[in-house]
Amino acid sequence: MSGENEKPPFLKNWTNVYALVIINLLITIIVFGLITYYYQ
Amino acid sequence: MSTIDWLVLSSTLLFIVIYGIYRSRGSKNIHDYLLANQSMPWYSVGISVMATQASAITFLSAPGQAFTDGMRFVQFYFGLPLAMVVLCITFIPIYHRLKIYTAYEYLEGRFDLKTRVFTALLFLIQRGLAAGLTIYAPAIILSTLLNWDVNYTILFIGGLVVLYTVSGGTKAVSYTQMQQMTIIFIGMFLAGYMVVQMLPKEISFGNAISIAGDLGKMNVLDLSFDLNNRYNIWSGLIGGFFLALSYFGTDQSQVGRYLSGKSISQSRLGLIMNGMLKIPMQFFILLIGILVFVFYQFQTAPINFNKTELSKVKASAYSSEIIQLEKKHQKLQAINQLEIKQLAIGINENNDVKRKAAKEKVLVYQKEMADVRKEVQTIMKKNDKKANVNDTNYIFLTFVTNFLPVGLIGLLIAVVFSASMSSTAGELNSLASTSVIDMYKRLIKTDGSDSHYLLVSRLLTVAWGAYAIFVAQFASKMGSLIEAVNILGSLFYGTILGIFLVGFYFKSIRSNAVFYGAIVAELCVLFIFWLDVVAFLWLNLIGCLLVILFSYLLSFYFGKRDIEFANSVKLD
Repeated sequence: MSGENEKPPFLKNWTNVYALVIINLLITIIVFGLITYYYQ
Repeated sequence: MSTIDWLVLSSTLLFIVIYGIYRSRGSKNIHDYLLANQSMPWYSVGISVMATQASAITFLSAPGQAFTDGMRFVQFYFGLPLAMVVLCITFIPIYHRLKIYTAYEYLEGRFDLKTRVFTALLFLIQRGLAAGLTIYAPAIILSTLLNWDVNYTILFIGGLVVLYTVSGGTKAVSYTQMQQMTIIFIGMFLAGYMVVQMLPKEISFGNAISIAGDLGKMNVLDLSFDLNNRYNIWSGLIGGFFLALSYFGTDQSQVGRYLSGKSISQSRLGLIMNGMLKIPMQFFILLIGILVFVFYQFQTAPINFNKTELSKVKASAYSSEIIQLEKKHQKLQAINQLEIKQLAIGINENNDVKRKAAKEKVLVYQKEMADVRKEVQTIMKKNDKKANVNDTNYIFLTFVTNFLPVGLIGLLIAVVFSASMSSTAGELNSLASTSVIDMYKRLIKTDGSDSHYLLVSRLLTVAWGAYAIFVAQFASKMGSLIEAVNILGSLFYGTILGIFLVGFYFKSIRSNAVFYGAIVAELCVLFIFWLDVVAFLWLNLIGCLLVILFSYLLSFYFGKRDIEFANSVKLD
């Protein structure tokens, strides 16, 4: 079993991965907001 | 269904089952059988987590939900990515470090045996019933639309799942889920593509979305804060976060999936994949429902999509009333179609005056048609109190069976089977793990050999499969109890999550405080539910916070006793 300090394969560290998930969520919400604004 | 559809359906299902059994053959020990030897790569973990969560009802209900209520349901998933991050930081390292088989094992080490058994029992009761409904829900819809015998459909779905889950355990579940998700994605993508192709020539994809927007269906984001509004950004972010944290962090049907990861990194990446893909996937499924809605603006839609219930009421004393309402509905549809065409012209020509005028008329017709449909539902209920008048789950499959080309119908039915089987497999596998590890091995036979526990795991998988089929067979006689069972499961999620969070983050709180705190919190949640003062998702948050609060307060009372108890008892 590898340890919990193992680095993620794509980014330098896990903090960056988590930040990416949160930024992705924020962008999704903004896009959804724009869709709602544009089409309503 | 045509012969080609039958061929597509049966060959798809046969391939998945045979492939699953072949790839997972030869489980020699319980570690291999229940945790797939912790050998799964991240993408396998991610797909398995997604496939277990997305049951057949997800693919049948979500398009119908969008058809009737618009896109706002997608907000339900906003808390999920945040929950994935918390799981990666806290839950996964702890579970991996402790080398556990089930989430509930952790609770004995942290608190005591009674807390572990209590939580595991809550899981077994709720998930056992849910597994039955996972089979029943698509079976009843398929049998209604395709005139199949519901009992045989249940036996067929349940039997296939038991076959490969018993044979290959967690590995078989993961391998088959990979194939099933592939079939689901291909099928749903083709369905979406076909709806756009089948729209009238002058209606492009963009026009269709504009029409849906004008009719209030593109309500993807709702910023208003209202505790009674089930789907807005706040209930999604906060309530959805706690629901996802509880479901993915403490429900063995999910914990079992990511514990099969090769390493902490692989399990984490699997959950991150789920966090990144879940919202777009749900958005896409809902969008198909929106396109089906626009498609039906140019077609004659039935007054109720559940044709069995509709023919029942037509054969009753209310027959003439229903026929009159049907005629009224058809007339409204005809004038609605004319105005929708005007609306489309307005959109195409960028003519705001024309567009606005048509939109106002269409909205009036939509409201009138909705009123007629509601009237029909009221009559259906009057005729038969137990009638299932909500036809949301029938909309998408009615469209599939009535309008999609031969071959694609078989594939879409295979999608429904695949989704049902992938969820059920994950559930049966986790029910067997929890019964063996937290009950049998801990309380009944503590000194058995590995091969003995492997055999018991297989037998319990069969037993839980039989139980799920039994529940599914009787589900139709349970009536509104089905909804109650679904609600009941979610009522416990907040409390269970609270127990785990106290374990992880409140080191000074010990067993008795959390045990009794959880019982009091659960009673409060049930009382709040009975009062019906908040929307459903908020109960997850309330349950969780109450466990933490009561445990903390009770820890002052039990504090000294618990420490004395902990010092006097050595846990194995």
